[in-house]
Amino acid sequence: MSQSADQLKLSESAVIIDIADSPLKINLLEMGFLPGKRIMLSHIAPASGPMAFRMDGSTLALRKSEASLIKIESIQN
Amino acid sequence: MSEASVHSVDQKVRIAIIGNPNVGKSTIFNHLTGLRQKIGNYPGVTVDKKVGTMDFKGVSYEIIDLPGTYSLFPNSEDEIIAHRVLNQLSTKVRPDYVLMVIDSTQVSRGLFLATQLIDLGIKLTLVMNMADIAAEEQINIKTFEIYKDLGVPIISTDARGAEGLQPLKELIHEGKFSNPAEFIDVEEIVSANILNKVQSKFSFENKYQAYQMLRFGLVDKTVSTEDKDYIKNLLDAEDFDLEKAQIEETRIRYEKIDSLVEKSVSKAKTPEAKTNRFDKIFLHPVLGYVIFAGILLLIFQTIFAWSSVPMDLIDGLFAEISSWLVATLPEGPFTSLLAEGLAPGIGGVVIFIPQIALLFAFLAILEDTGYMSRVVFLMDRWMRPFGLHGKSIVPLVSGVACAIPGVMAARNIGNWKEKMITIMVTPLMSCSARLPVYVILIGLTVPDRFIIGFVNLQALALLGLYLLGVFGVLITAFGLKKILKTEEKSFLMVELPSYRTPRWKDVLLTMYNKSRTFVMEAGKVILAISIILWVLASYGPPSKMDAVRAEGEQRIAQASEEQIPEIEAEISSQLLENSFIGIMGQAIEPVIKPLGYDWKIGIALITSFAAREVFVSTIATIYSIEGDVEDDLTIRQKLEQQTWADTGEKVYTAATAFSLMVFYAFAMQCMSTLAVVYRETKGWKWPLIQTVYMTALAYVSALVVYQIFS
Repeated sequence: MSQSADQLKLSESAVIIDIADSPLKINLLEMGFLPGKRIMLSHIAPASGPMAFRMDGSTLALRKSEASLIKIESIQN
Repeated sequence: MSEASVHSVDQKVRIAIIGNPNVGKSTIFNHLTGLRQKIGNYPGVTVDKKVGTMDFKGVSYEIIDLPGTYSLFPNSEDEIIAHRVLNQLSTKVRPDYVLMVIDSTQVSRGLFLATQLIDLGIKLTLVMNMADIAAEEQINIKTFEIYKDLGVPIISTDARGAEGLQPLKELIHEGKFSNPAEFIDVEEIVSANILNKVQSKFSFENKYQAYQMLRFGLVDKTVSTEDKDYIKNLLDAEDFDLEKAQIEETRIRYEKIDSLVEKSVSKAKTPEAKTNRFDKIFLHPVLGYVIFAGILLLIFQTIFAWSSVPMDLIDGLFAEISSWLVATLPEGPFTSLLAEGLAPGIGGVVIFIPQIALLFAFLAILEDTGYMSRVVFLMDRWMRPFGLHGKSIVPLVSGVACAIPGVMAARNIGNWKEKMITIMVTPLMSCSARLPVYVILIGLTVPDRFIIGFVNLQALALLGLYLLGVFGVLITAFGLKKILKTEEKSFLMVELPSYRTPRWKDVLLTMYNKSRTFVMEAGKVILAISIILWVLASYGPPSKMDAVRAEGEQRIAQASEEQIPEIEAEISSQLLENSFIGIMGQAIEPVIKPLGYDWKIGIALITSFAAREVFVSTIATIYSIEGDVEDDLTIRQKLEQQTWADTGEKVYTAATAFSLMVFYAFAMQCMSTLAVVYRETKGWKWPLIQTVYMTALAYVSALVVYQIFS
């Protein structure tokens, strides 16, 4: 079963396996959301607001709908 | 522009600075050019073109600061500019060399853009900025490894732009920019056959330029229809998927960058503990909002407290200058122009400087510390129901200083609908030009008392007016959301940069630049209006004016010594009533009377349509013409003395003052904002709609308020 980044829990890490096809795919890739990268959900804004992911020492904020495009494989910390 | 330069402007070596957002490009630009900056426009688009001059060893160089971008893929207007300048499509601003600024803590992302530039065949130097922060985070960068791989010169600088600047200048002087071999082979993505065709058709220097033309030629407005057809036919013939190619390019590029970064950059295990700790507080689901509200309140209270001292000084100073002019110079129209027109007019401009400087300083600090992106993160969820974007918070908060930079900041929002809504509602935020109107009216009607020990009642009233503006923004935005239609998908992708202390030199420079722009741009309008106003207020139809004067002289001749001052004041008042402006004011009095305004306020409303801050200087001019300049009353004291001609009651009652404040909160009274909205939306449609809806909103709200309180 494939999981996406919006399903992560706070402080949970995962490895990106793919970015789903969407007009936003190129934007996500350009920001560095690439297969093989490790991400960690560091903050969630209230009421299903944006999610902030740590990746390679930087923090990037995405909306929940965009995070759902990032297909992941969760890993144990 | 440059005294030291021996070259003409066209011969100057031109250097462009480029980099991702938030990497400190502007600091480097500021350090290289100092105060010698000019802000212009790129033809056809609305992006500001920041150009400065650097003199070094007797030679002068033109430095261009390009908008921040992550790639050469043009997604927003800012990126289109970078795309066009760097693809050398726009020959007018073609740079000779490029300084590519990279955040040393974010090397991969910076190299993505850098290697695209390399592939375009642009001569460049890498500036590894924020070397000090990288050291703090125990990031070790072997610049020599990067140099070996890419073949471009590399210079390290620190975040404050002090260290490394001299070598950078030397390097520019010696022209040590290199034009290295390409980083990726585009033939892996597009067949050599197509690339060769495009390259020879447009006589490009290399294949990557041909690839960029293939990928973006169809959406670039500067490419002719004929050329577009050529590209389209070529793409169709080969059955080529552009989007896939771009994704492929991104993948290949990052793959190569990752292997380069792996051997050249090493990190200690837990970097940026500081930023994490701060984010736990600033991004906290409850505390984060409390802090944001607190920061806003602090800013307003500080501005109210700090700027009132210099403002009172300026106000008093100009009142004294006027009376000194009258006392010193011989009586005549020239003296009266100086004392009643020019001096209050200049005073009306200068008085804003403390506020504008302070507000822009606060905004610069919020932006520079990295806090503004956190606000975008926190607010996106709450902006979306109103058709706004998290990024709309930047224009809206800027709108508290001035709608003009606010409207301009809206272009960072990629989605058309969200951008339009933001532009339409930003002028409803209470800008600093409204502040003097509020300050005077609050001073008149709200007692200067403290409640619950420390909250000033006047500050609270001011906060109320700002909240009223926010309320106006939200309902209008909600209405527009229902009306405007778009197919575009809205998205939010924003980097939350590491926290850092603000670079005070940049903050000071922002304060200076914004104040100067205000004095030069708005100041001209205000000063011109002050003079026109004085003329209109001092002259009228000769037959009427002469009649008033003749009658007055007759009465003075018959009057006793004690009666003279009173009669003189009456005559001045009658003269104003019969002047051109008096006639205009009276003409609109029936319309504004239900709001509680007399014809003198009507005059101020008319002149305020050019710029709302003119209200204060207008009433200053009107009342000083009418009154006696020698008793140097401040504007507030003059307002208190105003009475209705028929009933003798005070004009500035609480009801009238509140109604005026509400009117000024909502009305579109700023020509400069309209001009900017025209520029941003490329037509008169939106500025006109904006003027009509805001004026209607202002009239109705002021009417309701006056009827409630009177």
